Amino acid sequence: MKESFAQAISAAISEEMRRDDTVLVYGEDVAEMGGIFCATKGILEEFGPKRCISTPISEGAIVGSAIGAAMTGLRPCVELMYSDFQLVAFNELFHSCGKWRYLHGEGYRLPLVVRCASGYSFGAGAEHSNTFECLFNHAPGLTIITPSNVYDAKGLLKAAIRSDNPVLFFEHKQLYKTKMEIPEEDYVLPIGKADIKRQGTDVTVIAVGLMVQKALEAADKLAAEGISCEVLDPRTIAPFDKEAALQSVSKTHRCVIVEESNLRGGLGAEWASMIQEEIFDELDAPVKRVASLDVPLPYNLGLEARAVPNPDKIVAAVKALF
Amino acid sequence: MKYSEKMVADLYKELLSVRMAEEKLVEIYALGKVPGHIHSGVGEEAAYIAPLMTRNENDYYKGTHRVVSAVHATGVTFNEIFAEILAKETGTSHGRGGVNHIARMDKGVIGTAGSLGVDTEVAIGAALSAKYLENGRIVYCYNGDGTHSRGNVHEAMNMAAIWKLPVLFICDDNQFAISANHANTISVPNPGADRAAGYGMPARVVHGDDALAVYDAAKELTDYIRAGNGPAVLEVKCYRWRGHFEGDQCAYRDKEITEEEHKKDCVANLEKYVLDNGILNAEDIELMRREIALELDQAVEFAETSPEPDPDSIFDGLYA
Repeated sequence: MKESFAQAISAAISEEMRRDDTVLVYGEDVAEMGGIFCATKGILEEFGPKRCISTPISEGAIVGSAIGAAMTGLRPCVELMYSDFQLVAFNELFHSCGKWRYLHGEGYRLPLVVRCASGYSFGAGAEHSNTFECLFNHAPGLTIITPSNVYDAKGLLKAAIRSDNPVLFFEHKQLYKTKMEIPEEDYVLPIGKADIKRQGTDVTVIAVGLMVQKALEAADKLAAEGISCEVLDPRTIAPFDKEAALQSVSKTHRCVIVEESNLRGGLGAEWASMIQEEIFDELDAPVKRVASLDVPLPYNLGLEARAVPNPDKIVAAVKALF
Repeated sequence: MKYSEKMVADLYKELLSVRMAEEKLVEIYALGKVPGHIHSGVGEEAAYIAPLMTRNENDYYKGTHRVVSAVHATGVTFNEIFAEILAKETGTSHGRGGVNHIARMDKGVIGTAGSLGVDTEVAIGAALSAKYLENGRIVYCYNGDGTHSRGNVHEAMNMAAIWKLPVLFICDDNQFAISANHANTISVPNPGADRAAGYGMPARVVHGDDALAVYDAAKELTDYIRAGNGPAVLEVKCYRWRGHFEGDQCAYRDKEITEEEHKKDCVANLEKYVLDNGILNAEDIELMRREIALELDQAVEFAETSPEPDPDSIFDGLYA
């Protein structure tokens, strides 16, 4: 069955709502509108207004109340619309979601999912285009998931809803309309497991979200020039599948990390540091990072394109290692 | 008489217990036994304890950083409370949370936030689940007047009103947000009650020196909430007898006013009531004091002799 990314999100939520009465959906424009990217389309119609609710524009109260609902017996799957608006609820996400299970002792479960549309999407501008995994990766306690395709999105969102730990789920805006053949039967993907999206021998490209697609395009170009890329998609930013990353880099001896957020303090900084600390002797070249420029993402499309990573930038970074 | 003798006697005993516990916290802090901070709630006990006398067993409680020992009224023991404050393995979160994070889900105690206000949103989430699961529970959500200046509280109260959630918002107005007083920082005389109309909620304002008046207002509002009418606000006017934290010299306020406010004592006032109405006699009260003092001494000893958390357990309870 061929489904779009947005349809897969909606299907994942609906399937979990059918198997578990305590799952409910609320957030900005999720009900009558079905989400501004149509990722909750059909849920109100099937489950009614008790289990699918559009909220006021109150990100703090959406996340905060989801924490309270989660610890008292529900499994809320909430939406904040743009990931940029996570910053309105930063306190709730960083302190409360991340820390409260640890701070408040056993008997405390926080089964909640916070979904957001993230990433650049051609002129959305500096405050509607961010990918913020790197900010939340600094917060111990949060599970962070960023799928890169339709199949992973559905399987990982179902796993997120079933998890007893709070999950931030990042859905790239440019992926919503992409389509893919996925199984009709129920499937769940493991949290904390990376996926090798392309096998290779000369260099490991670790890429996140939409950047996985860019890395695969770059890998095609590099193959034509005789460089074999292994593309590793962590899928789960936290907990990070360190073992898979170290294993791949130990095989290829080179590594490029590609992310969409800006370079300074990004995921690449963390992972490059971890790789050199753990397997310095395996490296034939420094770990390279490809990320957005350290600039508020401009509105102008030419400037935007200049800022974000693309396959050519990835190709150049890989070639620089040889 | 309007009240059952048992209810008044129970209220007095709990009020006295929490007063003595708050005094004990000040005492052990001065002796250097507390690793963190203490925000003494001496003088404000009735704002917490009197509403909790209307609580049903499974209702939820969201307290604050002040009058932390009020959580005792939900059934959490002084042993656990003092052990957590002394950061011991036997505390409610094994010394990981501390004074601001005492929680016990099996007692309906959902925890409090270090960044005040966020937990008001958490509290309405507990009310959302109560309504969704139709389990008849309500939420007692406490905040100070200072916290009412946080946007989180507005978002939470607004959402609770829209969804008609079963929450009693209790504003303990102790006149000070650390050093900042009302006149300079709050736009209305009653930061909880005056703003309730903006959310379409009923509100009552009572003085915290009269525990029975607080109880009456809480009873009226919780009956309203239990009947499915949605949230309500109870504002209790108090005065913070001590500093924001222990060690705060309160140089920003008039000592004479503070001394005057100490005379409005909820424990002394209720004590007079129970004596005048023959609910308890002086001997009963003396015995009660001795029993509570013993219980508190034993709790401190329990906490002091409890083991420290094993350093190797540092990642226990962390899942990502």
